Amino acid sequence: MKAIIAATILGIIMMYAGFVVKEKKSVLSIATLLFVLLLGVNVWELLTAKPGETQMFFNFQLTVTPFSLWFNTLMTAATLLYVLLMGNDIIKVGKHVGEYFALFFFILVGTYMLSSFNNMLIMFLGIEIISIPQYILAGSDKRNLKSSEASLKYFLMGAFSTGILLMGITLIYGATGEFNISKFSFLQLEQVNPMVLTGVLFLIISFAFKVSAAPMHFWTPDVYDGSPTPFTAFMATIGKAAAFIGFIRLFHTSFATISDSWTMVLAIITAATLFVGNITAVFQQSVKRMLAYSSIAQAGFMLFSVVSVSALAWQGLVIYTVAYTMATLGMFAVLLKLKDYTFDGFNGLAKKNPLLAAVATVFIFSLAGIPLTAGFIAKFYMLQTAVAQGNLMWLVIFALIMAAVSAYYYFRVIIAMYFKTGDPEMASELSGIDKFLLVLTAMLVLLVGVAPQILLPNGI
Amino acid sequence: MIQLAYLIPLFPLIGFLINGLGWKSMPKQAAGFLASLMMLVSFGLSLAIFFEVKAGAADTIIPLFDFIHSGKLLIPFAFKIDALSSLFLLIITGVGFLIHVYSTSYMHEDEGVVKYFAYLNLFVFSMLLLVMGSNYLIMFIGWEGVGLCSYLLIGFWFKNRDYTNAAKKAFVMNRIGDLGFLVGMMLVLYNFSTLNYNELFAQINTNQTVLSGSTYTWVAICFFIGAMGKSAQLPLYTWLPDAMAGPTPVSALIHAATMVTAGIYMIARSSVIYNQSEFALHFIAIVGLLTAILAATIAIKQYDIKKVLAYSTVSQLGFMFLAIGCGAYTTAVFHVMTHAFFKALLFLGSGSVIHAMGGEQDIRSMGGLGKKMRITQITFLIGCVAIAGIPPFAGFFSKDEILASAFAHSPILYVAALGAALMTAFYMFRLYFLTFSGKFRGTHEQEHHLHESPAAMTFPLIVLAILATVSGFVGLPEVFSEHHSLNEFLHTAVTNFGAHHMEHNTELMLMGLSVGLVSVMIGLAYARTKSPNFVANTGLAKVLENKWYVDEFYDAVVVNPLVQFSGFLDRIIERKGIDGGVNGVGKMVRWAADRMRLLQNGQVGAYLFTMVIGIVLIFVLGLFFVNF
Repeated sequence: MKAIIAATILGIIMMYAGFVVKEKKSVLSIATLLFVLLLGVNVWELLTAKPGETQMFFNFQLTVTPFSLWFNTLMTAATLLYVLLMGNDIIKVGKHVGEYFALFFFILVGTYMLSSFNNMLIMFLGIEIISIPQYILAGSDKRNLKSSEASLKYFLMGAFSTGILLMGITLIYGATGEFNISKFSFLQLEQVNPMVLTGVLFLIISFAFKVSAAPMHFWTPDVYDGSPTPFTAFMATIGKAAAFIGFIRLFHTSFATISDSWTMVLAIITAATLFVGNITAVFQQSVKRMLAYSSIAQAGFMLFSVVSVSALAWQGLVIYTVAYTMATLGMFAVLLKLKDYTFDGFNGLAKKNPLLAAVATVFIFSLAGIPLTAGFIAKFYMLQTAVAQGNLMWLVIFALIMAAVSAYYYFRVIIAMYFKTGDPEMASELSGIDKFLLVLTAMLVLLVGVAPQILLPNGI
Repeated sequence: MIQLAYLIPLFPLIGFLINGLGWKSMPKQAAGFLASLMMLVSFGLSLAIFFEVKAGAADTIIPLFDFIHSGKLLIPFAFKIDALSSLFLLIITGVGFLIHVYSTSYMHEDEGVVKYFAYLNLFVFSMLLLVMGSNYLIMFIGWEGVGLCSYLLIGFWFKNRDYTNAAKKAFVMNRIGDLGFLVGMMLVLYNFSTLNYNELFAQINTNQTVLSGSTYTWVAICFFIGAMGKSAQLPLYTWLPDAMAGPTPVSALIHAATMVTAGIYMIARSSVIYNQSEFALHFIAIVGLLTAILAATIAIKQYDIKKVLAYSTVSQLGFMFLAIGCGAYTTAVFHVMTHAFFKALLFLGSGSVIHAMGGEQDIRSMGGLGKKMRITQITFLIGCVAIAGIPPFAGFFSKDEILASAFAHSPILYVAALGAALMTAFYMFRLYFLTFSGKFRGTHEQEHHLHESPAAMTFPLIVLAILATVSGFVGLPEVFSEHHSLNEFLHTAVTNFGAHHMEHNTELMLMGLSVGLVSVMIGLAYARTKSPNFVANTGLAKVLENKWYVDEFYDAVVVNPLVQFSGFLDRIIERKGIDGGVNGVGKMVRWAADRMRLLQNGQVGAYLFTMVIGIVLIFVLGLFFVNF
């Protein structure tokens, strides 16, 4: 709650600071400072919360649990890491630098709402608050036609999915007369209403769009590829995580009692997502576009947490989100250091810049789910929840096969770096800070891989 | 003080890290000095701990952290300090330190000397883990670590293909044994759900877990297979003679004094298990005895100074296993100790000889070296006397104890073991006389070059010679003394199987017999080598010279069929079957990918259209899976 207010105010301050301060570097410094401040507020709120206590705000519109506070803190920390890693690239995108940072703050506001909404209207609000800034971010490189195209596509298709979302909410409201998600428990009592079930399917479809699950994934490669690379990194990580927390919160709170009706449909969507993401990534020539498809594939794995209704799924989602976010941010940070985004652009990187190649290897290992990295543990948690579910063994096996396919395109980067010769052109030299942050991120990836418990403190 | 025992392996590890990471920039002298210093510190600590244990300190477990914690399985990374491990600590760090000092001089001209000392420190670290671990897993880590270092050091001069082949042979043979160890560990884990010595042995001793005798036999045999590999017993011994390809100090440290005795340590440590299975003990006794005899016969006809010593090591290890098979674990440990001293001494002495001869190892080209290198000659003689079993040198007491326990077991074992012991005396003195007495048979240039080795090499020789002389007194037989200090020291850690009580008269008579016959053998050796003429061997001698053709036999029976079989697997199964399958799958994926990417055509209209089709499909699915 404090964090929502803080993020809003800091966002507005950021926007005005952008008007006043002209020097881009200074804007970046201010933004970094404000993000640190926001993280501080989050930590403060987390520490002052009583374990296991649920706080209600705004006439039961928001239900803040220790879990949502913990998730918010992690997402804020991830955003701070993102700004630190890519700040210098963000300020190169366009003129109005202050706005970009302000938009990040607003997206965080939406994230906080999605992690603690108790009302479907708040959920809708949260989803729109994270979506609209992303449309803008996608088109922020105004002179670049591809960027504008990405923004327009994203907006058009996003509007389409918003319509479906509203349709779903309306149907459920029509059947139950309720927006409050914790009051749907009556669903189990009476004959389940077809109107409710239709609404649930619509909600699945619109959330599938937000998390880029098949068959609603078509926007992802074009938008991710067209957007300025630093913003692609943000959309693929924190933006996606925000949508997922809303997804799991709605479905595991409200529709858990009728999970029999929707888990199978969602499981098939999961399988389709894994298939499309992994198979299509195989043929890509650009690492950036490969990462877009890989984000679809990874979303397939994250969907496991929604499919398996259990407490373990929430923990799994936290671990997966963090693991995926760190590795993807790291990989994009590496990508930004290079001029050429194709696989060939990585040729011989290990000779030219061993440190960059080494950290990239750690990130790639994590994305592919190699043991000792966070990605392995994350995948393990996800598969474990599905196995515990019982009737989803086929999905687990399919996911494992797809994970094996993913090794093909991920390892192409490693092969290019270590086994091919070439002289990759660097976009910018690594500063000491860059090196430190990249190594730190890689270390974190390994740390979570060895000791995932640090992401699951007691009482969340 | 005992709580600080974790520092003992820490210092060699530090030495390894410094030398290993800085092998390009480290000055040669500094590397040797550093490595030796680390060993000295470890040795000092080991001494302190040894005396504390001797003064009666209780068995101590030093937990460091939880190594594996999964479900009910908890394997801590912990060290166990008791009589057995403290004695081995002393041998490893003590002999290790001397050999490090020796190496600083022996290896000083080698360009890879920094790497050499890094490996040597790593070896000591692993060996310390092996003996200090408080459970079988830590022992196994050390076990594999020493195997790796042995491989690295045998192939240290890796530009010579024969040497790398010898290294590979050692590694592979050890791996065969390791598999046995691993299976044994799994069996223990399955039956007792723990690998910690204390808990395991308590369970066995208090009959908490009642198991059939055959389970114990399986565990015991599996562990012994591990020991066969590491301690070079039949049929896995052939790697050890080849391992002489490594630098001579390595042969002394790894392939004589410490690593090859790991098998003895392991079984002595597991005495509680072995005491449950008489069959396993009999099996060990027979394997040990056969190894002792076989290796001794081969040693008689070898001409390479190091090969003689290598077969002698195999033979002595056989003696140790014979003692174990007779249930006399403490006797085996006693022989480990004395053997560590005199065999390290002999190897270092041979290194000194090779150094003087400019790399020549063939004893046919030596002779008369005693005049030029007095210290080497005298210390080498002490080593020979000790191994041959002349009182009051160390080898006499330990070997006599082995023979006595064999006699108590069965006179047949005794006679066979005595035969091997006599052969030992013969080939050792044959080696001594051919090397140090008579006339020099090498080239003139070599003769000119002959010189005594520098102090860094003779100092360890002298120390080891003293130890080889006096160390037998810790285990005086009952006839001479009421106190067998070694047994009294070890009895808390190791339980012997059955007790041998012999009439004093019988014992004295046996001693007299063996000493008398050994003297005869020495005389025989002297007579045979007085005017040596090396004609080509024929008949049995030729068979012995060619090591009973065991290597050829293994090649024909095991290696070649295996190579053929893997060739078949490679050509047919791997290339055609598996590769075809895997590549086929890969092609399929690429084909699918090629089609799939066409869906992504960039047109928003097409996307929306596909999405709508997708939504319709989801609702169709809903008809099947949702109970509307």
